[in-house]
Amino acid sequence: MHTTHAAPPAVTLSGVVKEFGAVRAVDGVDLAIGAGERVALLGRNGAGKSTVVDMLLGLNTPTSGTVGLFGGSPREAVDEGRVGAMLQDIRPIPRVTVRELVGFVARTHRRPMPVAEALALAGLTEVARRRADRLSGGQTQRVCFALALVGAPGLLVLDEPTAALDVAARRAFWETMRVLTDRGTTVLFSTHHLEEADLNADRVVVIDRGRIVADDTGERIRRSFGTGLVSFTRPAGTDLPEGLETLPGVVSVEDLGGRIRLRTTDSDETVHALAGLTRVRDLEVATAGLEEAFIGITSGADTVPAPRKADPR
Amino acid sequence: MIRTVTLLSAYVGLEIRRTYRDPGFVVFGLGTPVLMYVLFTSIGRGSQPVDAGWALTSMVGLAAYGALGAGLSAGSAVAEDKSTGWLRLLRLLPLRPGLIVAGRAVTGSLMVLPAVLLVLLTGMLLNGVRLEPWQWPALALMLWAGSLPFVLLGIANGYRLSPSAAGTTNVVVNLVLALFGGLWFPISEFPAVLAAVAAWSPGHLFGSLGWDTVAGGAPAPGTVAGSLGWTLLFGAYAVHSFLRPATKG
Repeated sequence: MHTTHAAPPAVTLSGVVKEFGAVRAVDGVDLAIGAGERVALLGRNGAGKSTVVDMLLGLNTPTSGTVGLFGGSPREAVDEGRVGAMLQDIRPIPRVTVRELVGFVARTHRRPMPVAEALALAGLTEVARRRADRLSGGQTQRVCFALALVGAPGLLVLDEPTAALDVAARRAFWETMRVLTDRGTTVLFSTHHLEEADLNADRVVVIDRGRIVADDTGERIRRSFGTGLVSFTRPAGTDLPEGLETLPGVVSVEDLGGRIRLRTTDSDETVHALAGLTRVRDLEVATAGLEEAFIGITSGADTVPAPRKADPR
Repeated sequence: MIRTVTLLSAYVGLEIRRTYRDPGFVVFGLGTPVLMYVLFTSIGRGSQPVDAGWALTSMVGLAAYGALGAGLSAGSAVAEDKSTGWLRLLRLLPLRPGLIVAGRAVTGSLMVLPAVLLVLLTGMLLNGVRLEPWQWPALALMLWAGSLPFVLLGIANGYRLSPSAAGTTNVVVNLVLALFGGLWFPISEFPAVLAAVAAWSPGHLFGSLGWDTVAGGAPAPGTVAGSLGWTLLFGAYAVHSFLRPATKG
């Protein structure tokens, strides 16, 4: 971590609540992000990420609580050109080229980066003369990225920036992002991919049902909830062996009808110890799907039942 | 001040490119009034020369019709921007909301002017319409300025309605106002009761701004007052539509 607290925080949310009718989409969020930090807002669809982002940008106002950017209101920060944002589901206006569109946004800012540089950073140099409304989904996403960064803002807010990208484009996107963050740009992005959060942020804030349920480095969040899966078949007619929960690394134990599955932070140690505990058949070691790992994070946080219940026996 | 001009010209520049690359607007928005004017002044007269009075009256009427249609269609783009999320993105730029609306209105007026000029040019060159030299610019300016209520009405519909609904509404409003306002055929041909009502419709008052000008004088006080009334009404409608909550979710 290389957070500096000398400068005023780029982002401050305190006691932020947002209600839509009877639904409480955001339920008391406190968050401070220092200048230069790279923070991932991790959560499932509908967890409240986009609502937080909207309030952060002043597109929506909290029901209660306060939102501050660089010590002022979101609107002030936007007017000063200190915020660049990439929202979901934005389509460029028709019959205008990529270069014209990025050039327009550059002209609205006081100290933009050169348009050619923004196009190059977003990987759009080759399509700069093409109509922005006639690009593929991934290219459109990159246009939105160029629009967010051309103003050379101090804070970049990206709502699910890689949602429309394939694996290669995703990697290229994050490489670009690294160039920007190395210049000191503060970045807040939302995602529902744990791996993406872990790899590209210094700090991962996990949000579920409108609340922050974890706030730590990606590495520690990943490890504390376990991403290894060790599965084996229980020999017919035997009970579930005692002591599985206390094996090294094990986070949870599930019995899927004779097939036992251990979620673990350390598959090697778990397998090693398991061999000494019982005879297992059909041993299989895998990395948990990220969605699965993520369900592991948030299902324990509240009383809503998880998709698969652990069987503790 | 300088910054406001910079921002406004940046936004208007973008919108003008988008508009004039749209064949729908260039062909139909600008072409239709010219085509109708040519038809209205050539059909049914065989090889007789065109009636000078009708050539003039119809020229003003169809220039007004072109201005009305171009002004309204400026607002249809707003509905498009709302549905693509572009309006949300504009709100995240260092642009004040008032500047966006002003930019829209300027764009609308830049769509109106060519529509007016093309019909006037056709009247001058094809039908030999003769006016005092001062009357040409006066007429163009009058129709340009008088189109403001329709730009506002189109923008209001754009903020309020979905893209397809806004497009349809603006086309229907265009036809109704033009026909009922006597821009195609004089309201003197209407039944008396209908003509009395039509005389105060926004389309007719707009046309009258032009007809009064070519008749050699300033527009009648009633025409000016009526036009201002419609401008205020449509302006209030536009402000109300714009101020409705724009965020979703």
